[in-house]
Amino acid sequence: MRRVVELAAPVALVLATALLGLAVSTALQTYFLDTLVKVAIVVALYVFIGNSGVLSFGHISFVALGVWTAGVLTVPEGQKNAIMPGIAHFLLHTNVGNAWSLVLAAAVGLAFAFAVGLPLMRLSGLAAGIATFGVLEIVNNVLRYDDRIGPGLNAFSSVPETTGIWQAAIGALICVVVAYAYQRSRYGRQLRATREDPAAASAAGISIYRQRLLAFAVSGALAGLAGGLYVHLLPIEIDSLYLDLTFITLAMLVVGGSGSLLGAVVGALAVGGLDSFLSAAENGVDIFGWHLNLPTDTSALTVGALMALVLVYRPGGLTGGHELSLALPRFRKDGDG
Amino acid sequence: MRRIGLLGVVAAALVVAATAAARTSAGTPIVIGWAHDSTGPMAPFDGPALAAAQIRVAQINAKGGVDGHPLVIKTCDTQGDNAAVSKSCADKLIAEHVNVIFTTCDVDLAAPVVQESINAGLLTIAPCIGTDQMGPKRFGAKGALAFSFGNVAQDEGSAMAQFAWAKGWRKADLATDTVIVYFKNVVQAFAARWKQLGGKIVDQESYQDPAFHGNNVQNAVSRINAHPADVIVTATAGAYQALAPMITGLRTLGNNTPVLNSWAGDGTYWLPKSPKVSNYYFVTYADAFGGDPNPAINALAKKIHAATGGFVTGPAAIDGLATAIREAGGSTNGAALAAKMVKFHDVPTLSGLVSFSPQLHSVYHRQYRVIEIQNNVPKLVAEVVAKVVPKI
Repeated sequence: MRRVVELAAPVALVLATALLGLAVSTALQTYFLDTLVKVAIVVALYVFIGNSGVLSFGHISFVALGVWTAGVLTVPEGQKNAIMPGIAHFLLHTNVGNAWSLVLAAAVGLAFAFAVGLPLMRLSGLAAGIATFGVLEIVNNVLRYDDRIGPGLNAFSSVPETTGIWQAAIGALICVVVAYAYQRSRYGRQLRATREDPAAASAAGISIYRQRLLAFAVSGALAGLAGGLYVHLLPIEIDSLYLDLTFITLAMLVVGGSGSLLGAVVGALAVGGLDSFLSAAENGVDIFGWHLNLPTDTSALTVGALMALVLVYRPGGLTGGHELSLALPRFRKDGDG
Repeated sequence: MRRIGLLGVVAAALVVAATAAARTSAGTPIVIGWAHDSTGPMAPFDGPALAAAQIRVAQINAKGGVDGHPLVIKTCDTQGDNAAVSKSCADKLIAEHVNVIFTTCDVDLAAPVVQESINAGLLTIAPCIGTDQMGPKRFGAKGALAFSFGNVAQDEGSAMAQFAWAKGWRKADLATDTVIVYFKNVVQAFAARWKQLGGKIVDQESYQDPAFHGNNVQNAVSRINAHPADVIVTATAGAYQALAPMITGLRTLGNNTPVLNSWAGDGTYWLPKSPKVSNYYFVTYADAFGGDPNPAINALAKKIHAATGGFVTGPAAIDGLATAIREAGGSTNGAALAAKMVKFHDVPTLSGLVSFSPQLHSVYHRQYRVIEIQNNVPKLVAEVVAKVVPKI
């Protein structure tokens, strides 16, 4: 029963967001779709960062590779020369459908995360964080400068816009279910043990390196899938998959509570939802017959201030890093220690 | 054959019906939805074009509108051309039943708006996208609805080559900013025309702007400085933050070679106070500093405190739209307007004569103004029309 509730809470939040997204105008629905893709990205971050306790600045490179894979393989052949004038011959003439592009985006994310994880997962602490930042830098520079493999800084326009509300919701749900299955598995428990006490975990025979590598690869696959969903939603550029997205998704994880899957989903929905609402309000929105029109840049200022306030009053994030539980809160008896 | 004939008749009837349905009744406003960037890298280009267009709309409405229909502009801020906000803006404007959509001045940043707009069957206009990609080349069959009143980069690069040749310069260093298609195409077109004229290219470098996380402009400066030439050619915008460091870097190295830029390098807003910029040239749509040969442009520039000559593309696009609506018999149907616009040949607008073709949905054979800056002071020094639109 406990497992059902733990999984049901983030699943219900994703479904509620999707249903709400169906009820609003097309203009506002774009924000819901964007937020659901952010949920997928933050859950991917959680699989590694939340379970291992090791910070990663490199996961947006896996998202970028997902964007690149799905984008290059689904831009119609007739437009590839305009968007990617230097593209290699075999990529120019290779196209796949929506589902395959998402599968391949996840596969590329998985393979790349595993490959870079082989050397990097031997590191710990700040060194691991900075090394993953190096991965972000390398991927970003290769994708932005090498026009033989993609569009460089040109936008992935003409990619079929298949990420509607259900594709976004199903994609986010796949990430949630995989993340939950992983954290409940033997491997997930072992990695969490290494997070709590590396020395004790090692003494118990757990390989920190192997467990981190496994989580890194799984989270890379989920991030790649999220990238595939993203490029099927918007004609985005590689430049938008860099530091801004890295920091805002990390902030979502921390604000929600990096120690739980529920925290990842709550953080993405809270920060993404607030940012989306304020962005929409800067262009005017009607709420229950009341017209709200906020000044330019209200969104950036307000989201930043509220994130800081949340962390001042709840350093563990909105969920405190806990999953939802049906268990009644325990009260101490008088005299208890 | 009979079936094809029947289908043709049905299709023609549908187009006529759609055109008639889209024909606005007398006095009904024709609404232009304008998705613009007020805070990001495109703000210095979008803002003046929009402000000048609003004045042009007021002037047209004061004379009775377009065939009796007043023009109305509804705006939506893309907030730095954020892709999600841009797409949402387009959907918001479409939901508000606008008849035409205008978008930002870069084809990559405009893509979210363009795709939503052409998918909704609306004529979609960029005042100043400067490539041949605002049309079917980039957006497929539906791109037939997309046009720009900006220059084709091939035309602009060619005009720059002609000006440089006329100045007596024979050896050129090329510095390509690779962040957007327009910048790359201008330099490619310059190179193509320069070689046709007999010019020599000494060195070719590339760089990316700090505004797009680029950090290599000084590497390009060092290598260019090692290859002396008569002129250094680039296409980049001051707002993108590589132009001022590039020129300051060159001058600090004692390199006073003239720098020739495209319209992107228009304006004085980016000029460093020290050292002051000299030996800097750019081609542009209009002289925003009061010296344009067209008095109407000078009056408008003064009224909106124009920072760059690109402001004329806003009213020029309004002029072009008004012509297309009149020629379509008052229809605002996207396909009907596009069918008229693609046949534009020397249509008069505030920015000069505008022509389009099925291949080029952006303006070519424009009469460019050439501005020279010495000691941070801009001055019109020449006008030039490209004799050839080279293939790149």
